[in-house]
Amino acid sequence: MIPVEYYVALSAILFTVGGVGFLVRRNVLVALMSIEVMLNAVNLALVAFNRSHTDAHTGQVFAFFLIAAEAAEVAVGLAIVLSLFRVRRTVRSDEADLLKN
Amino acid sequence: MKDLLALFPPADFSLIGFILAMPLIGAFVNGVFGKRLGKDAVRLMALTAIGLSFVAAVVTFIVLDHQVDLSRSEVTEAGVTHVKYGHVRLSWLAWEWMRISGPRDASVPIELKFSVDALNGVMMLIVTGVGFLIHVYASSYMDKDKAYWRFFAYLNLFIFSMLLLILGDNLPVLFVGWEGVGLCSYLLIGFWYTKLPNAAAGKKAFIANRVGDFGLLVGMFLLVYYTGALDWQGLEAAAGSLVNTSDAHQVHLWPLGGGQFQGPLAILQPKTPWTITAATAVGLALFLGCTGKSAQIPLYVWLPDAMAGPTPVSALIHAATMVTAGIYLICRLSFIFVLSPATMMVIAFTGALTALLAATIALVQNDIKKVLAYSTVSQLGFMFLGVGSGAFVAGFFHVFTHAFFKACLFLGAGSVIHAMHARVHDDERSQDMRNMGGLRKYMPLTYATFAAATLAIIGFPLTAGFFSKDEILFKALVGHPVHPQAAKLAARNFPVFAIPSWVGPTVYAIGVAAAILTAFYMVRCLILTFFGDFKGWTVGRPSMLAKHEHAHHDDEHGDDDDDHHHEEDLSQPGYPPHESPRLMTIPLIILGTASLFAGFLNPGFLKGLLHWHDIPLDHWLEPVFETATAAIELPKEEALHSKEMMSTVGAFMAFAIGAGAAYWVYIKEKGKPARELIQKVPGLYQLVLDKWRVDELYDRTVINGADALSETAASVDQGIIDLVLARLSALLVAALGTLLRVFQNGVVHVYAAIMVVGMAGLGWFFVAPHAQAEVKAERAGDYVIEAAPGLGYTYRWYPDAAGKPQTETFGAATQIKVNVEEGKTKVVRLEIKNAFGLTGSKDFTLTRPKAPPKPTQLQLGQNAVPSGERTN
Repeated sequence: MIPVEYYVALSAILFTVGGVGFLVRRNVLVALMSIEVMLNAVNLALVAFNRSHTDAHTGQVFAFFLIAAEAAEVAVGLAIVLSLFRVRRTVRSDEADLLKN
Repeated sequence: MKDLLALFPPADFSLIGFILAMPLIGAFVNGVFGKRLGKDAVRLMALTAIGLSFVAAVVTFIVLDHQVDLSRSEVTEAGVTHVKYGHVRLSWLAWEWMRISGPRDASVPIELKFSVDALNGVMMLIVTGVGFLIHVYASSYMDKDKAYWRFFAYLNLFIFSMLLLILGDNLPVLFVGWEGVGLCSYLLIGFWYTKLPNAAAGKKAFIANRVGDFGLLVGMFLLVYYTGALDWQGLEAAAGSLVNTSDAHQVHLWPLGGGQFQGPLAILQPKTPWTITAATAVGLALFLGCTGKSAQIPLYVWLPDAMAGPTPVSALIHAATMVTAGIYLICRLSFIFVLSPATMMVIAFTGALTALLAATIALVQNDIKKVLAYSTVSQLGFMFLGVGSGAFVAGFFHVFTHAFFKACLFLGAGSVIHAMHARVHDDERSQDMRNMGGLRKYMPLTYATFAAATLAIIGFPLTAGFFSKDEILFKALVGHPVHPQAAKLAARNFPVFAIPSWVGPTVYAIGVAAAILTAFYMVRCLILTFFGDFKGWTVGRPSMLAKHEHAHHDDEHGDDDDDHHHEEDLSQPGYPPHESPRLMTIPLIILGTASLFAGFLNPGFLKGLLHWHDIPLDHWLEPVFETATAAIELPKEEALHSKEMMSTVGAFMAFAIGAGAAYWVYIKEKGKPARELIQKVPGLYQLVLDKWRVDELYDRTVINGADALSETAASVDQGIIDLVLARLSALLVAALGTLLRVFQNGVVHVYAAIMVVGMAGLGWFFVAPHAQAEVKAERAGDYVIEAAPGLGYTYRWYPDAAGKPQTETFGAATQIKVNVEEGKTKVVRLEIKNAFGLTGSKDFTLTRPKAPPKPTQLQLGQNAVPSGERTN
């Protein structure tokens, strides 16, 4: 059986990749995908830790809730990206400065 | 009558509510819906409201008279039989308004209660009756005005406020009415508010009245403080405490409030404190209120300016009703005023001087309404002269007759102005008597009624004004108000002010002088307006004069003039002035007739001559003033009669001299002596024409003083409040905003970066171990240290920081108990380890002071501080 540390390490790597991607990429779609990566890193960690508590399923249930929340978040996020594109003809976050000034 | 009394028992006379409600409904309907209703509906509403109110007032008065007759009794005293009447009231309690605390924490109820007795019954008839006539007149006079509905809404509101003032059974209700009439007066003076002088006149009236209202309020406070009552009956019962000789019932003027000056200020301390009796303080405060409302020195200046309002307003508010509220108040509270002879003297002198001063100004005015305005001030002065001399019936009788003849004069003047305005089209010039003359031919009805009212005001024998003015002058000569307990107090060496004996003849002389001037200026006014030739042909027609100079201009119409909306050809002399419509002349005829004959309601002069006892006004009013009249000393019977003859002759001579002189100057000599006199003393003439420059004096002193004060306040406001408080705090907020704006730059990924930094900070906080604990002192040097919980924390305690730990491994023990001996210090160390295996530690220094008085006074707060923190 693969020890839990491997999963946690993978989760940390994925989270870091997602976080860095979210910070450095200007494309909103990529930023959204980065958020997905981060959330899935959390999911992975939750499910992995759940294995060390075989009598409970809290971690797995939590992961399901997170997936549902992710779906909603993506729906809203993509809608925002779409509206932004209609107004600005761009999906770059540094050009989304409608509220500035 | 029986049915009426069954419907309205005297103790619950709800008809008063109806009298009050009608004008209020009229004001509401006209004020809110008047614009949409149209002129006819507004007229109908206003006239119905006041008309029904008048009918109800008449019914009330009939019931009252019936009750007065029931109270008739004959008392035989020393062989002489007197007829006596009781003081009858019809009262109606609407509801209790509020409760205030009086002296010695007693609760004083303030009720919304109304009552009618003979005094305000007569007043009520004047207000609703004369008010109705003036409403009728105004419905025609104001016909061309766009704001017709607004005018009648105000007028009805005024009637309501005035009725509230006179029918109220206590001072607070009276005060509400008092302020209400002031408000309506303000609204109606500034009725044509687009003209600046009118708006300014309204403001002047309002502000001058504020000064008076301050006095009235102070008087009310003093009354509650000293008597604990504000309703008429309660005040009458408790009035005695106003002349209490104890120190608590004296008002300390200096040092103010009865204090004692200390230290360097001690030189300001008088040997004996300056005090006045509570009665004098109350009387003077109330009288200040009266001088405001009733236009007496020093607050009379607003009334002449108030003529800027429409003429029916001048007739109703500024002649017949509102301005007599001051006399009404003094009559109503006569039992308080007579307690202070000093106040009575002040009132009499103020009245006499006002009568004379205003009469001198009226001599030279050219504006017909200004003459009447100063005449009103002067006549109000006569009324105060009357009540101040203790002639309450006579003073009030003058209110009654004055309402008729002055309303008639004003309405007559309005009729003249109406006719003049149709020719002159100019507000200013249509009121100037120099442009009138000869109107007798064109306006016979106006002339007849104006002349009748003039005869009344100048005291032509057997007219209304003759009886009332004669009575006032007679009582001024003989009446001598005396402190009711003068003899008793003199025996106890308590200083009592007594009016010197020269005061009566002096005010009488001033009154006669004012009466002479009255006769002169009123006859002058009559002659200038109605006799001679009409001088208004060319006034306001510049084109007519221009025609002679520029004869070649055919179409000289003065079209660029502001008169161009009139279709009349202004180059022609025009139609002669015309008589006013019937709706205006009928009120004039009624009021003119009343001016001639109303005097027979109280012919004091005939009373003595004919031994006539049941004189209507006298037997109504006598019970009202019973307490007050008792304090007025009159000479013995024979001396009284001789003085009465003397004063009547004096009053008649005043009329004869004044009227004769005016006749000689303006009819015989066609105004030549007047012109010569003006040329001889132009300075004096200009001074009188400028109203003795009293307005300018007030400007210099009071108004400039107030301005300076407000400028000081404004500079404080601008310098300290605006600059330091407002600007400085704004600057702080702005600086903070500038700082925060850097972060709020609208760039999404910067927000994301800040979020990540924040998340990292939170992560660090949860990962790092925090060795926190709370030290609790227990008895006898025992201390319990309780560590704060944390995620996955395990603990290791060192009872002595330098020594070994309690247990070698980290355990679950969250607290440790140690004992410190007296005067010793102990250091306890806590080490924790969190889920990530990181450890942190903290030292706690525990000091127990030597021999404490009580173990709870351990100075733990200062000594049990952490001495260091380590993280590894």
